[in-house]
Amino acid sequence: MGLRLALRPYVLIVPALLLTCGILYPFGLGLYYTLFDFSASKPQPDMVGFENYRTVFTQEAFWNSAWVTVLYAVGAAAVETVLGVAVALLLHRSSVVGRILEKILILPLMIAPVIAAIIWKLMLQPSVGVVNHLLEPVGLGGVQWTDTPTGALLSSIAVDVWVYTPFVAILALAGLRSLPTSPFEAAAVDGAGWWYTFRRLTLPMLWPYVLVAVIFRFMDSLKVFDIIYALTEGGPGDSTVVLQIRAYLEAIRFQRYSFGISYTIVLWAVVYLAAMVLVRHLGKIQRRAAEVTR
Amino acid sequence: MSTGKRLSGVLADLALILYFVFALFPIAWMVILSLKPADQLFSTYFSFSPTLDGYRTVLGDSEGIPFVRFFVNSLVVSVGAVALSLVVGLPAAYASARWRFRGSENLMFTLLSFRFAPELTVIIPLFVLYQKLGLFDTYVGMVWVLQLVTLPLIVWIMRSYFADLTPELEQAALLDGYTRRQAFFRVALPLVKPGVAAVSLLAFIFAWNNFVFPLILTSNEAQTVTVGALSFLGGDRPKYNLTAAAALVSVVPPLLLALTIQRYLVRGLSFGAVKS
Amino acid sequence: MIRLTGVHKTYGRATALDGLDLDVGEGEFFCLLGPSGAGKTTTLKTVAGLERPDSGTVEIDGEDMSTVEPYDRGVAMCFESYALYPHRSAYDNLASPLRSPRHRLPAAEARARITEVAELLGIGALLDRPVGRLSNGQRQRVALGRVLVRPARAFLLDEPLSHLDAKLRQQMRAELKALGAVRRTTTLYVTHDSVEALALGDRIGVIRDGRIVQTGTREEIWYRPRDTEVARAFGRPRINLLPGVVAAGGVFRSADGSLEVPVGAPVREDTEVLLGVRPRDLGLGGPGHALTGTVYVTEVLGRSVEVTVRLGGQQVSLIVPRGDASGLRADDPVRLTVRPENLLLFEADRPGRPGRRIGKSAR
Repeated sequence: MGLRLALRPYVLIVPALLLTCGILYPFGLGLYYTLFDFSASKPQPDMVGFENYRTVFTQEAFWNSAWVTVLYAVGAAAVETVLGVAVALLLHRSSVVGRILEKILILPLMIAPVIAAIIWKLMLQPSVGVVNHLLEPVGLGGVQWTDTPTGALLSSIAVDVWVYTPFVAILALAGLRSLPTSPFEAAAVDGAGWWYTFRRLTLPMLWPYVLVAVIFRFMDSLKVFDIIYALTEGGPGDSTVVLQIRAYLEAIRFQRYSFGISYTIVLWAVVYLAAMVLVRHLGKIQRRAAEVTR
Repeated sequence: MSTGKRLSGVLADLALILYFVFALFPIAWMVILSLKPADQLFSTYFSFSPTLDGYRTVLGDSEGIPFVRFFVNSLVVSVGAVALSLVVGLPAAYASARWRFRGSENLMFTLLSFRFAPELTVIIPLFVLYQKLGLFDTYVGMVWVLQLVTLPLIVWIMRSYFADLTPELEQAALLDGYTRRQAFFRVALPLVKPGVAAVSLLAFIFAWNNFVFPLILTSNEAQTVTVGALSFLGGDRPKYNLTAAAALVSVVPPLLLALTIQRYLVRGLSFGAVKS
Repeated sequence: MIRLTGVHKTYGRATALDGLDLDVGEGEFFCLLGPSGAGKTTTLKTVAGLERPDSGTVEIDGEDMSTVEPYDRGVAMCFESYALYPHRSAYDNLASPLRSPRHRLPAAEARARITEVAELLGIGALLDRPVGRLSNGQRQRVALGRVLVRPARAFLLDEPLSHLDAKLRQQMRAELKALGAVRRTTTLYVTHDSVEALALGDRIGVIRDGRIVQTGTREEIWYRPRDTEVARAFGRPRINLLPGVVAAGGVFRSADGSLEVPVGAPVREDTEVLLGVRPRDLGLGGPGHALTGTVYVTEVLGRSVEVTVRLGGQQVSLIVPRGDASGLRADDPVRLTVRPENLLLFEADRPGRPGRRIGKSAR
């Protein structure tokens, strides 16, 4: 029985390990492919070493995509953070209106991002879309939302904001509700104003919760695909070709498999590095927040 | 002072309502659009004669797009993926919550890293591999690849539920004369049932909402609603009312589920954050 | 009968049990006493088979348990957390052992047995209630009931009274020992409360840092404590320990030189020692050695009085009948007496190593 006992936990995780290997295998295979010039036109590929990566980094298209990706991720994460925290603070007052609205806060988040993009694409249509119709009385009709480079990027970010602001708001609200009440009571007794309380108490204590949400949002939007694919397909021109879209075009449209995978591997490295930096920062923030509470 | 307070309260409520108009108007607009008859699509905005023709066309497969089948496909692969993840993931989550050992820590970390991997890193090789193995455009192929979405979620969340459960309950069951298997099924599992239900529904929603996997790994037989809804946008004369109807039909299941499990969502949504 | 021999158990870098030896005789009520973190619960769980020792053996009724699963050991345990199934009623919790494959009884017999145990513990009226709606004391009875409903080779009770309020604890303490099943069955009872240990234990084992420091009857533990820490663990107020040295002729001389008491200890001169006297062994007048000092403070405890007395630079406390202390005021001179056989002599404490008692059996 000694052996059986020692093995028991392993028996329980073996199926999960196998399944995980089933997912790891294609990843390893992909990594291996990047060392070849594998494509639909060359089914018997040759080993090319790191040539694919060299090409990626020397292509202007890559740097363009990387720039667009960073703009998108920073823009989306920033707007979602500010808006999400604001919504959470407003809901935290739990007014009658707030309590009703809180029940439906989640809705946009549960809609598939690709469907959200479709919905917005219909609304932003320049000639017959409802957004321009509503803006007409204000004298802003006829905006070419997704047909100009800047407009397309901003529209994509807007869809991201529409879908994911509830995510930040939900985590921030949970954070707000878990804050200790005694510092706030003490501040109220001291007669501290709203702004002072917010700056000196709420924000520092809440920030770790918000930062978790920001980290998730930033890293997820670095690998955005669905929204852009449905809304702009990367256009007009190359103006919204983020890295995953570029990888898709190379690998699936043009069937240059090896080259397309190289793009995603580079993206993975970027996401991983961003995660490391942000998580380290998170640790620091959490420690600081603990001091405020004390 | 109280008038000032009341005023700021009203302003806060107004700001909230403004945000919720932004959040809900698109959904309302889809409902409106889906009810428009085809000949009033481009000539009207808010006043028109509503009809269910759009839904009839979408659900009647008459545009050459078998939307009902896509809907069933979504159901099959999402339920299949969640079921497989539960069968495989619950024991793993339990083991790693009860015993700390190297295999489980590695597994947990690998699963977490899937959460942040770009999907295409795995899909492009699978696109090649599936065609060789005959898994392209099949249920099995989709259920397999959806593990990338459902398995990490289920294992991480359930691990935290099991970890919150004192092991003494199961130990008491052992001393009552039950085997370890019985202790798990009769004591531990019933106590985490709400967690299992919530995380299964959340995993189902994520699987249902997934787009990249079916886009690349299916073409027709196993295609799902998310890809299907997009195909209404194609063609020379886009039929916006049909697109809207398809989009609405495809978001009904996740929206209904989301409203039922709302209370449990925070833990599910912030999964992985537990570690840091 | 339970026997543990040389049991080691570590959790990562923390040592829980460090070569623990323990013998509990057939039908005996054995109390394991120690502070939290001493390894009490780990000891119980090792006996139950819920924790596997890194080394050492566990025997129950002379049978080696290293390959026996917990459900085959035939022991019943009451957890400190009670470990009741929160989603079931009190009845279902009590029925749990009787529905298991090992101890299954036909439903009717089980019902009779459960009713009997519930009546015994005074929870007959609560059986239909969900555990979540019971008070702490009621839960504790249910937990105890789950132990008693089925036959067991041994009962393992982990601080079963610790969460109760003082009055209930005293009442349950008396009831527990009176239960027929408990009287017949080998019982290993864990507690951090020395009063409980003295009241309940046929024998007591004092555990510290994962080892048994001393085992014995309550008299042995009380009159011949192995070291100062065991001596301090029993009795409130605590034993008085006066630092000093052994001078020529086996005389104890206190550190400030104000006090000399002949002890006749078999130790070298100038050995640093602690002289121990329990508060109840000191009197105001009467036969024995005399010590003179002044009253510092008095505190009435019902029919007796605790008097704190300054002896040179030291303070000692004693418990005397109220009548003896009635005239005492602060700074009054007093003469304390102690019988020579009630004096305990210990080596001086060193950091991390309490002083051992020195030779000469007091009784």
